[in-house]
Amino acid sequence: MKRNTMSYKVRQFLMFAGIPTVLFIGVIIIPFIYGLYLTFTSWDGVSKAKPFVGLSNYAAAFSDTAFWTAMGKTVLYSAISVVLVNVLAFLLAYLVTSGIKGQNFFRAGFFIPNLIGGIVLGYVWKFVFNRAFVTIGKSLHIGFMETSWLATPAGAIACLIIVSVWQYAGYMMLIYVAGFMSVPKSLIEASQIDGCTKSQATWKVIVPLMRASFVECLFLTITRCFMVYDVNLSLTKGEPFNSSVLAAMHVYNQAFTYKNYGVGQAEALILFIVCAVVGVLQVQIGRKGEVGA
Amino acid sequence: MRRRTAAVMATILVATLGATPVLADELSVFNSKSEIEEQMEDMASDYSDENDVDMEVYYSQDTVAAHLSTKYASKDPYVLSMVDAKDIYSLGPDHALDLSDQPWVKDSSQIISIDGKVMGFPVCIEARGVIYNADAIKKITGEDFDPASVKTLDDFDALCQKLVDGGMEAPTGIMKEDWSLAAHYLQEVYEEREDPSAFIKGLHDGTVDLAKDEKFNSLMDTFDVLMKYNYAKDAPIAAERETTEQKLAEGEIAFMFGGNWDWSVINAYDYSENMGMMPVPQNTDDGSNEKLVGGGSKYFFIDNSVSEDLQKQAEDWLNWLVNTDDGKDFLVNTCALVPAFKTNTLDVSDPLGKSVKSYADDDKLIANYNYDPDDHYSVCGASMQKYLAGEIDRAELAKEVEAYWQGATLADPAVTGGAAAGTEAATEAE
Repeated sequence: MKRNTMSYKVRQFLMFAGIPTVLFIGVIIIPFIYGLYLTFTSWDGVSKAKPFVGLSNYAAAFSDTAFWTAMGKTVLYSAISVVLVNVLAFLLAYLVTSGIKGQNFFRAGFFIPNLIGGIVLGYVWKFVFNRAFVTIGKSLHIGFMETSWLATPAGAIACLIIVSVWQYAGYMMLIYVAGFMSVPKSLIEASQIDGCTKSQATWKVIVPLMRASFVECLFLTITRCFMVYDVNLSLTKGEPFNSSVLAAMHVYNQAFTYKNYGVGQAEALILFIVCAVVGVLQVQIGRKGEVGA
Repeated sequence: MRRRTAAVMATILVATLGATPVLADELSVFNSKSEIEEQMEDMASDYSDENDVDMEVYYSQDTVAAHLSTKYASKDPYVLSMVDAKDIYSLGPDHALDLSDQPWVKDSSQIISIDGKVMGFPVCIEARGVIYNADAIKKITGEDFDPASVKTLDDFDALCQKLVDGGMEAPTGIMKEDWSLAAHYLQEVYEEREDPSAFIKGLHDGTVDLAKDEKFNSLMDTFDVLMKYNYAKDAPIAAERETTEQKLAEGEIAFMFGGNWDWSVINAYDYSENMGMMPVPQNTDDGSNEKLVGGGSKYFFIDNSVSEDLQKQAEDWLNWLVNTDDGKDFLVNTCALVPAFKTNTLDVSDPLGKSVKSYADDDKLIANYNYDPDDHYSVCGASMQKYLAGEIDRAELAKEVEAYWQGATLADPAVTGGAAAGTEAATEAE
C-alpha cells in the first residue's frame, strides 16, 4: 500500500482524529462562529427575529462603562490572585517536598479545596464571612471583623481573592510538586559538592529547572481568574451595589438578564481576546530561555 | 464478537436518539415561584395520575427572562411557563398562544392581552406595602394596633419612637436585595401617580427633575424613617433577608417593607399570630397612603410552537386551576396564594394574603407598572443600595436614577407608539 498518497493520509487522519475533530468542530468552532454572527445582530435572546445591525454592538460594548469597570476590577482581582496563588502554591510545594512528616497527607489536604465546586465553595465562604467572622469579631471586639466584609466594595473583592487563592493554591501546588520532583537528584548533589548551600541550590539550580511549571501555573491561574464566574456568583452575586461584578458576570447579565444578547456576545468576544492575548504573551515570555533538563 | 459490540452500540445509540420524542410528549411546566416549588411538584404527580398526562414541573433560581432565553435558544421551550408580567410583553408576541377563546377570560380583571389577544393567565394577586407585627406593637403600647392610625409618616415616626422608648431596640427592617429596593420600593415612585407612562417618558427625555418630584421625596422621606429605625443600621447591606424576616416574624422588629409573598419566608419561623400589611405611610393627601400597590402577579403563557395536543392539555390544566374545586383549593389552600379570578371565593389562609384580598376587594390597589427595562432592578437597585449604605445622598440618588432612565431603552407601548413591546418597541425607541 502506498503511504504517500493524499487519500491514505486523509484516511489515517480520520481514523485517529476523525471523531475528536467532528466533536471539536461541533461544540467549539461552530458555536464560536455562530456567536460571532450574533454579535452583528440586535437579538434579545428570545425573539424569533435577529435583525442585522452591523458593528453597533461593538460600539455599544466599547462605550459600556459598566463593562470596562468590571474589566478593570477583573484585571485587579486577577493580578493579585495570580501572584498570591503562585507564591502560596510554591511555598506549599516546597514544604511538602522537603520531607516533613506526613507530607502525603498535607498534599491531599491542600488539594481538596480544588475538588469542591466553585458554587458550593462560594456559599460556604459566604457563611464564613457573613456569620462566622462577624460572630467572632463581635465577641472578641475585633473592630474590622465586626461587620461583614462582603458589605463593602473593597471587602467583597478581597473576599473573592481570598476564596480564589484558597481554591487554586492546592491545585497549583501539585504542579509545583511535580516540578520539584522532576529535577534530578544528581544535579542537586553536584551543586552541593561544588559548595552550594541549601538555599543556593534551591534558587540557582532547582527553580531555573522548574521554569516549565511556572509557565504552566501562571497560564492556568491567569486564564481561570479572568474567566471566573461561579465563585463570583455564589459569594457576592455582584453585591454590594454591583461593585463586585467581574467581567464574565457582566457579560452574562448583559446577554441574558438585560436581554442585550448581541452586546453581551460582543463583550464576551472582547473578554476572550484580552484573555488570549495575555495568556499567549505570558507563555511566549515564559518559554524564552527555558532550560531543558 | 466485534459485530455484537457494534450491534449493542447501535442499539444504545438508537435508544438514546429515540428517547427524545418521548420527552416531547411531556406537559412541561416552568414554575418561577420558589415558595410553591414542592406544592407544584406534588400537584403535578397527582394531576398526571388522574388525567393521564405526563405533567412535569421545573424550577430555576435564575432570572425568569434569563432562564427562558436559554430554553428558547436551545429550541426546547416549556409548554407552560410561569413568568412575570413584563415577560409576557416581551415573550408573548413571538411565543405565546392566543387564549382569547378560553372560558376564564371574563372572570378576571388582571389578564394580559397584547394586540387584542389574551396571552397571560394571572396566577395570583400580589401587593406591596409595609408588613407589620401587631402583637409586637401591642406588647409595648398595650393597645390593639390599628394600621389606619399610622397613615401619615409623622404618625408612623411617632409610633416607632414610642416603640423604641418602650424597649424595642429597633422597630424596622429593610431588605437590601436590589429587587426589593428598586423593583418594589423605588417602583412606587412611578406607580403612585396619574400617568406612570408619561412620567417614565419624562425621565427618559430628561424633562423630569426627580430630586424635586413630590412623590419621590415623599417616599424617600418614609425610606429615611425606615432607615432611621433599621435594626441593621450599622451594616444595612449585610442584612440577610431570612434574618430580617425572622426578626419580623418573632416580633423583634415590628415593620418591614415587603409583599404578601414574604409570608412563605415568615411562616418558616415561629411567627406571631396577628400580622398584616398596610400601605406605605406618607405625608400626603393623594390617597396613596390608603392603598397597597399591586395586582396580577406571575402569569402563565402557553408556548405556541408545541404540538396541538400539548397546547390542549395545557389549556385544560389552566381551566382545572380556575374552575374545579380541586384547582381552587390547590391555589388558595395548598399554595396560599390570593386568587385573581372572581370565581374562586375561597378564604385566603395567610394573614398577609388576607390583607391583600381585603384591599383588593375594596378596590384599593394601585396598579403595577409592568414595563421596566430588564436592567432597571439591577442598576437602580445598586443606586438604592448605595443610598441605604449612606454612600450617596438623596440628590445623588435622584441623579443616578435619572441617568439610568435617560440611557435606558423604553419598553412601554404607551410611550413607544403602541408597538407590541419587546424587540420591536426597543428598536423604535432608538
